[in-house]
Amino acid sequence: MSLAPVIPALLAAAVAYVMPRKAATKHRIGLAAVTFFLLASVGWLWPDGTQAVAKPDAPTSTEWPYLLDFLIGFPIVAGLFVLFLPRQMPSLLRGVTYAVFAVSFVASLALLAVPMTPGWHFQHIVPWIESAGIRWHVATDGISVWLIVLTTFTTPIAAFASFGSIKSRHKELCAAFLMLQGAMIGAFVALDLFVFYVFWELMLVPMFLMIGIWGGAEKIKASVKFFLFTMTGSVLMLGAMLYLVWTHHELTSQWTFDYLALSRVVLPDTQKPVVMSAQFLCWFAFSLAFFIKVPMWPLHTWLPDAHVQAPTGGSVVLAAVMLKLGTYAYLRFSMGLFPFRSAILAGNLGAFAVIGGILYGALCAWKQDDIKKLVAYSSVAHLGFVMLGLFGATPSGIQGAILQMVNHGLATGALFLLVGVLYDRRHTREVSEFGGIAKVMPVYTVLFLIVTMASIGVPGTNGFVGEFMVIAGTFVSKRLNQFGAIEAIGAAFGVILAAVYMLGMVQKVFFGPLSNPKNKHLDDITPREALAVAPLVIMIFVIGFFPSIMTDRMRPAVESYQQQFVHLFSDTPETPLAARLLPRDMFPPSFLVGAPDAEAGGPSAVTEAATKTAAAPAKAAEAPKPRSDEDTNRARAARNEEIMQKFKNLPLRKAGGEP
Amino acid sequence: MKDALVALAPLLIVSLGGLGLMMAEAFGSRKSGGPASDLALGSFVVFLAGAIVSGSLWLVGPESLPGAQATAPWLLVDRFTLFFQLVLCVGAGLAALMAGGYLPEHRLDRGEFFPLLVFSTVGAMILAAAGDLLTMFIGLETMSLGVYAMVGFRRGSLRSTEGAVKYFLLGSFAAALLLYGGALIYGVTGKTDLASIGATIRAGLGGRGASADLGMLLVAMVLVVAGLAFKVSAVPFHMWTPDAYEGAPTPATSFMAVAVKSAAFAMTLRVLLGIFGDPASMSWGAGWPPLVAALAVLTMTVANLVAGRQESVKRMLAYSSIAHAGYVLVGVVALMKDGNGAQGGVLFYLLSYTVSTAGAFAGLIACGSHGREAVSYEDLAGLGKRHPTAAFALSFFLLSLAGMPPTSGFFGKLYIARAGIGAGLHVLTILLLLNSVIAAYYYLRVMVFMYMRDPAPGAPIAKPMRSGYVTSALVLSAILVVAIGLWPTSSLSMALESALPRVASLASAVSLR
Repeated sequence: MSLAPVIPALLAAAVAYVMPRKAATKHRIGLAAVTFFLLASVGWLWPDGTQAVAKPDAPTSTEWPYLLDFLIGFPIVAGLFVLFLPRQMPSLLRGVTYAVFAVSFVASLALLAVPMTPGWHFQHIVPWIESAGIRWHVATDGISVWLIVLTTFTTPIAAFASFGSIKSRHKELCAAFLMLQGAMIGAFVALDLFVFYVFWELMLVPMFLMIGIWGGAEKIKASVKFFLFTMTGSVLMLGAMLYLVWTHHELTSQWTFDYLALSRVVLPDTQKPVVMSAQFLCWFAFSLAFFIKVPMWPLHTWLPDAHVQAPTGGSVVLAAVMLKLGTYAYLRFSMGLFPFRSAILAGNLGAFAVIGGILYGALCAWKQDDIKKLVAYSSVAHLGFVMLGLFGATPSGIQGAILQMVNHGLATGALFLLVGVLYDRRHTREVSEFGGIAKVMPVYTVLFLIVTMASIGVPGTNGFVGEFMVIAGTFVSKRLNQFGAIEAIGAAFGVILAAVYMLGMVQKVFFGPLSNPKNKHLDDITPREALAVAPLVIMIFVIGFFPSIMTDRMRPAVESYQQQFVHLFSDTPETPLAARLLPRDMFPPSFLVGAPDAEAGGPSAVTEAATKTAAAPAKAAEAPKPRSDEDTNRARAARNEEIMQKFKNLPLRKAGGEP
Repeated sequence: MKDALVALAPLLIVSLGGLGLMMAEAFGSRKSGGPASDLALGSFVVFLAGAIVSGSLWLVGPESLPGAQATAPWLLVDRFTLFFQLVLCVGAGLAALMAGGYLPEHRLDRGEFFPLLVFSTVGAMILAAAGDLLTMFIGLETMSLGVYAMVGFRRGSLRSTEGAVKYFLLGSFAAALLLYGGALIYGVTGKTDLASIGATIRAGLGGRGASADLGMLLVAMVLVVAGLAFKVSAVPFHMWTPDAYEGAPTPATSFMAVAVKSAAFAMTLRVLLGIFGDPASMSWGAGWPPLVAALAVLTMTVANLVAGRQESVKRMLAYSSIAHAGYVLVGVVALMKDGNGAQGGVLFYLLSYTVSTAGAFAGLIACGSHGREAVSYEDLAGLGKRHPTAAFALSFFLLSLAGMPPTSGFFGKLYIARAGIGAGLHVLTILLLLNSVIAAYYYLRVMVFMYMRDPAPGAPIAKPMRSGYVTSALVLSAILVVAIGLWPTSSLSMALESALPRVASLASAVSLR
């Protein structure tokens, strides 16, 4: 391997090393290393051979099936292990935590090395509680892979920042961060509803403790509110889950919690928008849980409390990753399990996203005096964009939404970090306390401005790409009926409002006369703090200029998923009286790989080599002589492609339902 | 004869052990330490032996024991009985371990506690096995008498005596209701054993079929259900519970919450399925399900709302145990439809509830010491900082009670909810799930105090005790909670296989005899 590709990264690292004024060598090296690795990884991810674009005959690398287990299990086990370390040695505790995070991050990059063809990757299935049909089923695809990387990328930063500003009880903090990361990744990759629910609940506890122990003055109220809001949604989801599982059992007399198998179940429903049908209620129970997490208006009231009271690190994780679980889960579960309901209500929900989320969130943010609360409300607005993209359900809208999930994680995470820097110096976040900070903290101001621009969505930063794709997708969406254009205009207006409230705040805090005497001697951002923000700032530009790094990898998965969604939705008859099971050929074959039904479903039902399901002998019979992994993979990819083409050409029935 | 002894081995082991302990307490000489130090270990060994024997009999299978039918119909030895005997022995064994640490610490070190505990358990085990109204009553009274004495064990304390008197009065009242209901049933059918009563009722009340008999039977059903509701402390028959639970020494509270409740549920299942198990009585329109459903809703909701307002953690746990009884009642209602595993769900729930609750009480004991007992929330303030291990233990079991995955408490709720959905009780199940959110509030409140509040200056704070007994109780229940939570397959299939046969097969069993 020649040195040429890493030369730009080396140059940038040298700049990063030299740039800071009065910094310790340790921090200089850290900054340089962060810069180097990020840019090198961009070079590595850059699709020059376009390996990411799915070509059926492209050589595929082998997937280590235990990688996702490792990404989930390693931090959780390490979190338990940390509890047994002596609390008198905080540096050991922090060292172990950093080491675990570093290993997880590097391991998660291995996910990106695989071309993300449609279908599941790194799938791993182990029977767990067979009597109830529960299996350990984890897998990733072009959608969730980005959220996993986002998690492993931002959690260490949040932990790093927390160790700087929090001085007490580092042992619990380390354990909480580690377990949180494991549980969040678990929720992103779980394809068994039961496993998903376990992780969905499990991550509440560390976050509850994080807000409650290290939070601000109203920490207890905020943490309990956070916990109870989320749990209310999730128990209703559990009820709907059980109903779905039960219906599947009635139809096939087989117990399973598997997402893929349950996708085939169509609950009874009618064409009316709001009706007390089983599908509506189950869709509502699932979506309610996710809308609370996102949060969508009017369920967003826990968010400002939680964000304002949480410590900086907690806010970063909450904003960057945890809220994404709501949007991701809506995309995966609500739209996947109840396509019909998600489709016919999309227009109305889009209005919620625009009016309640984007516009109302922006107006609320505009009127905040507390900077952190402002950022919290801006989250409501940004996630309104994400949800709008999902409701529109066009390929570009969904891609924009996923991109925007990552963007929001980066920009808002960075904003929370920077607000935390200011709070550590002045112990207040009131806008009126500041003014003219730019004169005493120039570097800080520059960083803040960059992140603000990303948050607003100025071209060249990541926010622009995501918002543009979402608005474009909304405009052409058929799902939003006649409202698509209006909602696109509303969303575009939201971008303007974002500029109004963000720039208004920046203007009041950073510019103008330096009137408050307490601000006269503020220190500029320290190298340690800069080290925490630097990766986020670099990624803002990387995604802003080279979004294809991400979009190329997610496009095949998103397109396949969107096709499936539209196909299933259009095929729903007007009034199914009873619950029924969709035939397997309604789905892209790559989607159902690993589904638990043993009933023969064509060649594509063959499970992954790593699984131990009943289909394994069938596969062995089919391929008597052992083939190399590469051959199998290639053959499978080709077959997938072929069937995928057929699937695309299937005639779609109109929603109106001519025979 | 010998065969019958084998089949009754769990019961005999525990009874003989109780006699031995009584002798040891009376004649044993003590050089050092109080009686608790030896007797606790002795009782634990007795219960362990009982648990192991009932577990192995379960594995052998009562159908292959020749003597299993010898005592029928007075004492039935079936998988149901053996499962409950196992659960009861586990719950009582944990209570014995707690008592071994608790009694000496709080200067209550009198040896009679342990024989009382053992004989109460014998009563509970008889209750689980009883197939006849008379043995049922004997078991009930044997169990209750011991518990009355244990509640009033702290003679110097007004609360303890008040709790004992309340419990005694209301308990006798409940027993009278049950007895009266039983008498009416006997009057109508002329039988005392459950199977024959059920068969007679199904055969059209012995051919007479008079409407007066039907009315009497209805009255009897209401009386029996009310009496049972007293015993499982369902709202509105729960008034004695908080006082008795709060006044009793904590190990006795744990025993009441765990063993007494499980035995009462065993009795409930036997009576409802045995006597009122015909399709008409089990239908929503004409039988007990709406009655029990109303009880369940009231129990869950009222108990959870009141529990949230408590200032004392022990009292909160008392109300929480009432609420858990409500969840189990949802499972009992779900029995009305066959094939949804409702009975297995109920049994599994009782198992997981037993280990979680015993652990929670052990955790509460571990958080306090003499004169500085952990009673109120305020006592626990800042415990997470001062004594992280004790705080962690208590929070772990509270999370299990709250039903957080992947603990056993979560699976218990999951199976009950699944049975409820399967029986078509959607609203009831949703109410159960929402109630668990309310419950999460007060469990979290304990954690809030332990981890997020600092004690007010000068306020009394709890100081954890050190005792090998309590620690081993904690460790044992923690292992069980995690094991049942992560690998519920075997315990669930055990619970499912322990289910009582339903009417159709019951009728054939009767005709065979």
